[in-house]
Amino acid sequence: MSEFKKVPMSVFPWEEKKKEYKEIKGDEEIVKRQWEEFDMFAYLFLWFLVTAM
Amino acid sequence: MSKLYEERMDRYWKANHREKPDKVPFRPFAAECVGAFYGLNSQQVTHDVDQGLEAVIKMCREFDIDATVSNMVYVWTGLTESYGTKYLGVPGIDLEVGESFQYREPRSDDEAWMRADDYDRFIEDPAEFTLNVWAPRMSKYFAAPGETNTWKNNLAWLKGGIGMMYYIMKINAHVQRMKDEAGVVSCLSGALKAPFDILADKYRGFRGISYDIRRQPDKVLKATEAVAPHMLNNALGGADPSKKTPVSHWMHRGATGFFSEEVFKKFYWPTLREVTEELWKAGYQTIYYAEGKWMRNLKYFLELPENSIIYHCDKDDIFEVHKVLGRKFAISGGVPNDMLAFGTPEDVRKRVKEVIEKIGSEGGFLLDAEAIMQQDTKRENFKAMADACDEYGVY
Repeated sequence: MSEFKKVPMSVFPWEEKKKEYKEIKGDEEIVKRQWEEFDMFAYLFLWFLVTAM
Repeated sequence: MSKLYEERMDRYWKANHREKPDKVPFRPFAAECVGAFYGLNSQQVTHDVDQGLEAVIKMCREFDIDATVSNMVYVWTGLTESYGTKYLGVPGIDLEVGESFQYREPRSDDEAWMRADDYDRFIEDPAEFTLNVWAPRMSKYFAAPGETNTWKNNLAWLKGGIGMMYYIMKINAHVQRMKDEAGVVSCLSGALKAPFDILADKYRGFRGISYDIRRQPDKVLKATEAVAPHMLNNALGGADPSKKTPVSHWMHRGATGFFSEEVFKKFYWPTLREVTEELWKAGYQTIYYAEGKWMRNLKYFLELPENSIIYHCDKDDIFEVHKVLGRKFAISGGVPNDMLAFGTPEDVRKRVKEVIEKIGSEGGFLLDAEAIMQQDTKRENFKAMADACDEYGVY
């Protein structure tokens, strides 16, 4: 069997979001991390809708 | 209470891993019966989650339970109504107050949340499809991109998101109460659905998937492969950080009454096996809660790593199931639901004694009913089950 292909817990990836910024003046990693954390909540909510309720 | 909890966790963990604990754990999956024990009807425990959770605490305090589900009435219809779910029959609204909530299957392709010609989009990105197509179809309020937005749409998403976080907070606090006030282990954490099951249950419906496996089998296969990593993520997202409790897995269309072995082998098993193995690699056992009859398909589960699952037996002969799976996996179940509803405490005691003697004597067994216990389970029979486990289950 071929290796299992995992996917990120993401709906609106950082790479897409970053395009909306003209520039990021400060630490990009902070901005990225916070964005991805909230995006993960949205991802898990979506699958919660499907699987849990 | 802390000492009692640790004893029960140790007992639960050992039984799940086919070691011999001090006694057989009593691990009931008690659903609407919990409400019935304390004078609450289905509407009360399903629509008002606080009443449902309080009833679970009372049950944990009253009976000698080692581990149980934090909330086996798993759909909080107060929450699902807030974002306008269409597919549920709700006790107290659509149904009588004493009836359990119902999932309403789509009766035609027009009613299905995913249509027969939606496969390509689903396969391309199941999360995108779920957000932009499935959710607007299954909700009275969600608007799809391109449709006219409404204030009800905005509010429904807000309520749904806040509601989910609110529910998780309540469950976390509730699990702590189970531990602190009764020393009882919350027996599951995280939820897996087989990729074929989620497709059949929530997207195409049973009628739809039955046609699809004949008319577009390659797309069904690709759809299960596309959604599999999301099922893994969903399970991991809610899993126990300490890895002491298993992930739940409610199993439906792989039961032998629905589809042939050919269908099971081709569509149901491959991606389920992959996801189960990935969970095991991540450190988690999975409870295969196999509702219905699965005897013909058990041989496939033997392909899984030893102890990667705990197999729950419903309608099959548990003694035969043990012969097939007991050398690799722990087994749970044993007491028929109709016995709990229509039998006597003496019937239950005899059955518990028999099951423990025949398959529980070497460890790797957890006592439970065959299926989730609903409002017809008699309180005296539930007590007989708990007491008999104490009497006959000591090693």
